[in-house]
Amino acid sequence: MDGKAIFLLRRKRTIRVAIILLGVALTVILISLNTGTIRLSPTSVLKALIGYGTAEESMILYEYRLPRIIITMLAGAGLGIAGAVFQGVSRNTLADPGILGINAGAAFGLIAYISFFRSLDGPAALMIPLFTFAGGAVIALVIFLFAYDRYRGLLPIRLILVGIAVSAGVSAMTLLLSLRLDEDTYAFAARWLAGSVWSRDWVNVWGLFPWIVVLIPIIYYRSATLDLFTLGDETAASLGSAVTRSRLILLALAVALSCASVSMAGGIGFIGLAAPHIAKRLVGPQHRHFLPIAAMTGLVILVAADTIGRSLFHPNAVPAGVVVAAVGGPYFLYLLFTTK
Amino acid sequence: MMKKWCGTLAIILCIGILSACGGQASEAVNTSASSSSAQETGDSGKAGEKDSVTQVDPNAKIASMSIHMTNNLLALGIKPAGSAIGGGVGDFLPHVAHLLEGSAKLGVVGDSDMEAVLGLKPDYIFIDEHFGGEERSKLEKIAPVVSTNLDEGTWRDHLKRVAAVVGRDKEAEAFIKEYEEKADRVSKLIASELGEGATAMAIRVSAKEIRVQSAGRPVGPIMFQDLKLKPANGVEKISASEPYAVISKEVLPDFDADAIFLIVNNDDNAKKVYAELENNPLWKNLKAVKNNHVYTLDGQKWLDYSSLGQSMAMDDAEQLFTK
Repeated sequence: MDGKAIFLLRRKRTIRVAIILLGVALTVILISLNTGTIRLSPTSVLKALIGYGTAEESMILYEYRLPRIIITMLAGAGLGIAGAVFQGVSRNTLADPGILGINAGAAFGLIAYISFFRSLDGPAALMIPLFTFAGGAVIALVIFLFAYDRYRGLLPIRLILVGIAVSAGVSAMTLLLSLRLDEDTYAFAARWLAGSVWSRDWVNVWGLFPWIVVLIPIIYYRSATLDLFTLGDETAASLGSAVTRSRLILLALAVALSCASVSMAGGIGFIGLAAPHIAKRLVGPQHRHFLPIAAMTGLVILVAADTIGRSLFHPNAVPAGVVVAAVGGPYFLYLLFTTK
Repeated sequence: MMKKWCGTLAIILCIGILSACGGQASEAVNTSASSSSAQETGDSGKAGEKDSVTQVDPNAKIASMSIHMTNNLLALGIKPAGSAIGGGVGDFLPHVAHLLEGSAKLGVVGDSDMEAVLGLKPDYIFIDEHFGGEERSKLEKIAPVVSTNLDEGTWRDHLKRVAAVVGRDKEAEAFIKEYEEKADRVSKLIASELGEGATAMAIRVSAKEIRVQSAGRPVGPIMFQDLKLKPANGVEKISASEPYAVISKEVLPDFDADAIFLIVNNDDNAKKVYAELENNPLWKNLKAVKNNHVYTLDGQKWLDYSSLGQSMAMDDAEQLFTK
């Protein structure tokens, strides 16, 4: 079989997997829309969605349920893609915004934000992604400087190790800052760190939306570069890729994407690791195929986790991050052990 | 290639900076608005300027989004149709649960279950700015909102404010009068037991730490004003705007309190911590412990800074000091 045939086969498989995932995603979203204190029948949900529901039904859907679901959709997709880029750039399948310390930086940015502004409602919410991005970007820069070698460029393995070290340091600083907060704000910060989807309003959706819809296409457009990285730096360079510069750009994009996602959805770490792995197993290693699948997998995981989290132990909701870790962890282990 | 990417990055940066500026501007507006409203409320000394309703039929269907509010309503003999629940217990607080039988549960305080509120179809929603303030705009879409603010005034003021809205001023006055009489009685009991001008401190033992309660909310006012105890050495140093300070048990003797009011959290780990503390020589040698002047409080009532909670705490104190 020649290369072209393999490529066509892969593409066919990708389309098939994408259709199945789309179905799964739609199902999960519909279930999520049906989950809440007030029982709405699926038909009345659909009716309200297209504008034929009662005032009460459409209020429940549009004011309470939909914004939160859209946020989990956007954040899940963002985290999935960000994780895929981190893994591609560092050529390490362990890379993930959580492990690299980006989430720790974002958390630091968020705590700094609530220490100074104290308000999380209204238009101020649009600022939160900027603060988490600033925090994440500073951490990424520090990690980058430490992992950069003047002669050999960015060293992928050092990237991870430095990331783990820096993230430990930043977490300590975040903890220190958060201890100075008053009780209510501290409780919020702790919930955020555990990955609780705190944002419930359309303003939060609008805070997150531009980041996701701008960054994901740009990253997708660069997916061929990610493929080159897998060949090793020398090969990639000889094939005409400006390795360090592309790596930098992609890293910056991924940092922005993951920081924006966690700003609204809380410090959810595991999706960035698991979604690309699952996607890769489903459609193979070519980024142009598996990036969309990783996004959809991330979306499905986060929407499902948040739905489970807010319904299972009602009235006390469990943070989505905890559900992701509790359900995703064992499943991930199972995946690792059942495939060679 | 390089140029193109520099261009893209520049655009992203621009978007970022632009949205940052926009955000900051609105943030500035936001803070100035909130500070001016704070001044206004400071001037008039009353909460609820934003409320659209000033009179509520006490028999109307009322949803209460704060535990303090719920208990103030109960003190006035009004059972809300639905109420927020305590996050720790995930239910109505145990000391008032029997009064709320049949009321709907509207989610944990500060994180209201909007769907439950909507489903209740209340005529009015009562909130406390200190807890559900940020949810106000959402609640206003469901029903008119009446608010108090825990940070302004004492529980007496909150009770009077609610009473004025539901037209039960007399009941509020009677409630407060009864409380003051009780406080008089109990403070005399305490004085005869501990002597005039005895010093006291309140200690709360949780699974993780030992706390000394401040002279502020929730237990400060009842102990040091209503029961006329004197704050033990160092209690005054804890900021009254904080409910408590965490201490290490080594400094307990420094407080040199004549009496210790003790709250042990209602979980096994906290009880274990207290059992260890009880056997510690440091504890055994405290003046209050040696003189048998340690009083274990019903924490739910004492920590509930609402009219009903404080009144129940006063009853608890009367029992503790009646022999």
